[in-house]
Amino acid sequence: MSEPRRLHPISAVINCLKQLKDLLIPFLVFVVFGSKNGLFQLIVSVGIIVIVLIAGILTWLRFTYRLEEGELRIEYGVFVRKKRYIPFERIQSLDLSEGILQRPFNLVKVKVETAGSGGEAEAVLTAISKAEADSIQQVLTSAQQASFNENEEFNQEKPKEEIVYKITFKQLLLLSSTSGGVGVVISAVFAFIFQFEEVIPYEKIFSGLEDVISSGVMMISFLVLIGFFIAWAVALIGMMLKYSDFTVKKVDEDLIITRGLLEKRQLTIPLYRIQAIRISENLVRQPLGLGTVYMESAGGSLENAESARVMLLPIVKSKEIMGILSPYIPDYCFDPVIKPLPNRALRRYLFRGLVVILPLAVLAMIFFSPWGYLSILFILLAIVLSYFKYRDAGWKVDDQQLSLRYRSIIRNTVYMKRNRIQTVSVRESYFQNKKDLASIEATAMSGTGGTGGLVADLEKKDACVIYQWYSYTKSEEFLKEI
Amino acid sequence: MIMEPQKRISSKGLIVWRIYGAIHSFFVLLVAGGAIALTIIFDWPIWIIGVALLVFALCAYVFIVLIPTIRWKRWRYEVRENEIELQHGVFVMKRTLVPMIRVQHVDTQQGPILRKYQLATITVSTAATVHEIPALEVDEAEELRFFISKLARVADEDV
Repeated sequence: MSEPRRLHPISAVINCLKQLKDLLIPFLVFVVFGSKNGLFQLIVSVGIIVIVLIAGILTWLRFTYRLEEGELRIEYGVFVRKKRYIPFERIQSLDLSEGILQRPFNLVKVKVETAGSGGEAEAVLTAISKAEADSIQQVLTSAQQASFNENEEFNQEKPKEEIVYKITFKQLLLLSSTSGGVGVVISAVFAFIFQFEEVIPYEKIFSGLEDVISSGVMMISFLVLIGFFIAWAVALIGMMLKYSDFTVKKVDEDLIITRGLLEKRQLTIPLYRIQAIRISENLVRQPLGLGTVYMESAGGSLENAESARVMLLPIVKSKEIMGILSPYIPDYCFDPVIKPLPNRALRRYLFRGLVVILPLAVLAMIFFSPWGYLSILFILLAIVLSYFKYRDAGWKVDDQQLSLRYRSIIRNTVYMKRNRIQTVSVRESYFQNKKDLASIEATAMSGTGGTGGLVADLEKKDACVIYQWYSYTKSEEFLKEI
Repeated sequence: MIMEPQKRISSKGLIVWRIYGAIHSFFVLLVAGGAIALTIIFDWPIWIIGVALLVFALCAYVFIVLIPTIRWKRWRYEVRENEIELQHGVFVMKRTLVPMIRVQHVDTQQGPILRKYQLATITVSTAATVHEIPALEVDEAEELRFFISKLARVADEDV
């Protein structure tokens, strides 16, 4: 497959549509606020559309790709010819998705991710046939395998497929109904409403409603409630569509994740690219004993944060995580035993939780009484949250693994291998020093940035243990000591 | 705690930080001056002038004297064969370990003020984080950069 190939012609259409979508807002502004001369506007509009069409077709004509000498070679650019050669070994993952436009033609969109490619995916093949995508994937894996096991014998066995996890309908329902997506939808609705405040004459619409509104607060609360419910339902359906058929397969040394009903997505991540594993338990899920497992990988780009932090198990009983993952990711030990913080750390946590909110609350009580007294509620909330932050925080060092657990709002447990950790820091403030406490922070790589964990107020001795464990200089003697 | 890193940064760095502090407090001076001017023009109560001057004096002291001194005293670093260790912080002491095999690249930087004092700053980037050793003697910085980049080349693992 060395001769240059073009994408499927449908990608010209997709290019145009994308351009038009980007132009939509400037275009609306132009139409709404532009001169009242209709003809002029029409000519300009048609002109723009024609230009976009031509540009889309030219872009498609100019875009070729080929696999040659161990590289994916892409040439593109309408006015300026650009060539981009990506060596196979640098490719972190191929991200396959099928949009609505790709589907009827049995095509896929392939995103090629490399480590630290900055703003966007290194290369995007907008529309190629599935068979072709498969063959690219095969060429890639065999090339990577070959370079990876250079000295080992190359066995011609068929790659064996093992299903690691498949979402059940019950889990899908649980996942969707307990997700944070509701908040996103609500804020989107609000943003949308305020966006068009000037265009839509709310006051006129609502003046008729004024009687209704004055007729009772009950009515309003009811409407708000319905609004929230609808938002929740929308989020629910969105999540269900996004995550239906969520399947994780292990093929050779890769994990392949597929999901989606309308838009099918497939993501391939080699096991050796895993930088860290994170278990998140949000406020609704934790009491039910449920959690989400993420896998931080080195691929990905800023725009596509999703491929850096990949959801591995969308929703699963926290107790079962070890059973599900251990056979497939043998390096990691998901032992729930975590060493807690010393008792005296609790005061630090309470202080940290209250230092901002207490003065504010007191001010509110002084200046806005009696309503200001409601801020006592916030103080109580802050105390409860601080307590849980304290209670959940912890750490553990195994042979080659560091586990850190901390709570922001949701509880996170991060598992990192020593040779994947980029840096470790110990911090101590004046107050911590007085109490013989210290905070520890470990950073691993995720996409183009970092991820990791920060646990505050460990016993200083323990922080030193972690620090020493990570240190490359003294570690040999240190490990003997244990 | 464990043995602390030993090397300090150049004592000229302290002077440079004081200059930075002076630049910072210049902005405070502008604001204070504005407040004083307005007070005189609009006949506001006289104590505003006093407060403005006091705030300026305090900021100048903190920015020019206090923070640079503490910062300089606390800054330590050590570059060993297989890791770099940094220790710094004014209110919160922070110690960081950066293993050599994690280093992606090393840069030296020099602004006009640093250049005047023949100083340079080294930044060490890993795949996820960026670390800085500020205000080193130019020769030392160059040497260090060379040293680190030579050692960092051993990296053969994936990211």
